[in-house]
Amino acid sequence: MNHLPQAWGRPRDDVYGAYDPSHFQNAAPNQHTQSPIVTGTSVVAAKFKDGVVIAADNLASYGSLARFTDVKRLRKFNDEVVVGFGGDVSDMQYLDRLLNSLDIRENYSNTESSLNAKNLHTYLSKVMYKRRSDFNPLWNHLLIAGLDGDAKPFLASADLLGTTFSSPTLATGFGAHLAQPIMRRTIPDEAAVQNVSKDDAISLVKECMKVLFYRDARSMDKYSIAIITKAGVELTEDERLENQSWAFAESIRGYGTQVN
Amino acid sequence: MTSIGTGYDLSNSVFSPDGRNFQVEYAVKAVENGGTAIGIRCKDGVVLALEKLITSKLLKPGANKRIATVDRNMGVVSSGLLPDGRHFVSRARDEAAQWRQLYKAPIPTSALANRMGSYVQMYTLYSSVRPFGVTAIVGGWDSEAELPVDGQVGSGPKVGSGGKKGGVKHGGPFLYMIEPSGLYWGYYGAATGKGRQIAKSELEKLNLSDGTLSLEEGVKEAARIIYVAHDDNKDKDFELEMTWVSSLDGPTKGRHEDVPKELREEAERLAKKSLEGDDEDEDEGKMEE
Amino acid sequence: MFRNNYDNDSVTFSPQGRIFQVEYASEAVKQGSVVVGIVSKTHAVLAAIKRNAEELSSYQKKIIPIDSHYGIALAGLASDARVLSNFMKQQSLASRLTYDRAIPLSEITLRIADRAQTNTQQYGKRPYGVGLLIAGVDSKGPHLFEFQPSGVTQEMVACGIGARSQMARTYLERHLDSFGGCGREELIKHALRALKESLSQDKELTVDNTSVGIGGIGENFALYEGQDIAEWLDATFENREGGDDEGGDAMETDS
Repeated sequence: MNHLPQAWGRPRDDVYGAYDPSHFQNAAPNQHTQSPIVTGTSVVAAKFKDGVVIAADNLASYGSLARFTDVKRLRKFNDEVVVGFGGDVSDMQYLDRLLNSLDIRENYSNTESSLNAKNLHTYLSKVMYKRRSDFNPLWNHLLIAGLDGDAKPFLASADLLGTTFSSPTLATGFGAHLAQPIMRRTIPDEAAVQNVSKDDAISLVKECMKVLFYRDARSMDKYSIAIITKAGVELTEDERLENQSWAFAESIRGYGTQVN
Repeated sequence: MTSIGTGYDLSNSVFSPDGRNFQVEYAVKAVENGGTAIGIRCKDGVVLALEKLITSKLLKPGANKRIATVDRNMGVVSSGLLPDGRHFVSRARDEAAQWRQLYKAPIPTSALANRMGSYVQMYTLYSSVRPFGVTAIVGGWDSEAELPVDGQVGSGPKVGSGGKKGGVKHGGPFLYMIEPSGLYWGYYGAATGKGRQIAKSELEKLNLSDGTLSLEEGVKEAARIIYVAHDDNKDKDFELEMTWVSSLDGPTKGRHEDVPKELREEAERLAKKSLEGDDEDEDEGKMEE
Repeated sequence: MFRNNYDNDSVTFSPQGRIFQVEYASEAVKQGSVVVGIVSKTHAVLAAIKRNAEELSSYQKKIIPIDSHYGIALAGLASDARVLSNFMKQQSLASRLTYDRAIPLSEITLRIADRAQTNTQQYGKRPYGVGLLIAGVDSKGPHLFEFQPSGVTQEMVACGIGARSQMARTYLERHLDSFGGCGREELIKHALRALKESLSQDKELTVDNTSVGIGGIGENFALYEGQDIAEWLDATFENREGGDDEGGDAMETDS
């Protein structure tokens, strides 16, 4: 008798004859990624008068499980560009390798100027759009932060559909709902950027990271933050949220096991 | 050249009755007329240097770099037909990129030399192609540190498989030279092009196999050797092009780069001085006579 | 039929290590009418002599704008230049599309150089029979590159290729040091004078047989022909009558 798993629950060959194996196939069209697997949550970024600040926490979640706690989601491309990745981590790793090979090619000649943030955003949005057009998207939402061709602050996003967007403040994922309104209070439009100092921008972004940690269950309190100015990229990858206050949690009603 | 006119030298991939492949030998002739190129493997890095002959006054000075970077940690300098040299480099870059795609790590210098040797050799096999008219020197630094895998975004588990044996030395400086036949050897000091004989004898004096020459000394020696190998009377003017690659804690941080302007000029100054020194000695000798 | 046994194809080395087919292709460049190029710190200029097959026919196309930041001038087989220029246009557009970046001139030059090299190493192919001057401006400023059928490319301060171009090069070498600081108009004059040097005695530069291409920092590459260059021609060759150090003789024969 056939004890192989594929025969379980099937009519016995010795009684009913050989089973037509074509029935085993669940014929369906090719399917590419339908959902992300291991994910990173929000990336937040804000322009200030001399550059851009960008931050993302160091967590990679597997569903609701906090699976990896030292994942660096801000990737430095060169001395004037940082890319922040939200969404699928393996797709992020693929893009990281892609950017790595691009950087190697760009540096064959040291006499040419390297790609700036605007160039890189154009490139990445084409990559994202190509993949979505192949029905095989890279499941990410990217923020590209840095300087453009005129050494002015540059911040733009590209998502898994190839959609692009630019604004003085940007946030992906949960941050788009929670951090964006907070940042817009300080930096409502492009003109407001001129009044924002580096320290203002850093504390604004840090504040957003804190709010996100309070309310986003897929976030953590260890994060990376990068500041891109003409002086270069200042990237720290082991920041911790300071002065947390969970007092507000006491007033939340309707969740968990409290009685009233 | 007794073979000329016998017909065995008219097509690539054809052996003569005495077992020679003339087209490959003729390709070597193309190399022998090129500017001198050398490579020195020092204890803490590799120097590549090139005598770039100035064929016209109208050339932009300092432009037209001929020593190319492959991946980040390797350089290629070649002598012979310039466009063939570029073909060689572009293939080397493709090989390095392909290696990365497969192994998620930089290609070791030895593996690149091996692959390029194979590639060049293929151009000796068919009558539909001609051999490369270049001899290329490949110099690189294979990282001594355990590098993150490409695309690695975290540190991963501290225990488990994938660890390396302690006390084993990894990486270091490497130097190879690939000839038009596809033949390649590893070298302590390599030279090709017009002035190779003089350059070789100078390289031999450096006792490179002792592994004591430092990278900075190597730069100065490289400049001097190019100047010595250059024949002022017969050859056109030249520009000295020099690149180097050091360890991760050295001046280039494991990258293949141009030798900084100040150091190159200093090396050139010393090179000229050492040549003048020779002349002065000669002059003095004459005066004594 | 052949000069020797080693010049039948581009995959045979001569015993001296030469490839005759490639050298012969370089001769095709010398059959073409002369083109010159010069760069200053701010501008890149191309100038060319156009030939016409007969009195009533149109003149050749010698300068081809490729992208808004650069153009090429050709000497040799025009159809080969067209193949290369189409390739350059396509590559330049691709760079703008994927990176939103004007392709660096060194980059595009190397790309055609690599293509040309392939034609010198494979049986059944022939080297390109055209030389190009590639001039314009990219993020690193103005540039001028020379492209040869062998696949050799070089960045130049000034260059002339085509029939009798040695005369133009001699002129350029003599004035080499002054180009860097030249303004736009001065540079054009130098280019026109260099061009004139290569002309046989009985010919002169006219609005019909001369083309000028100019690119500069903050200025798109543009082609000037016909009446658009009349003023430059007048200004340039009036100047020379006024006692310029060279070509005084040539000018006298003109007047």
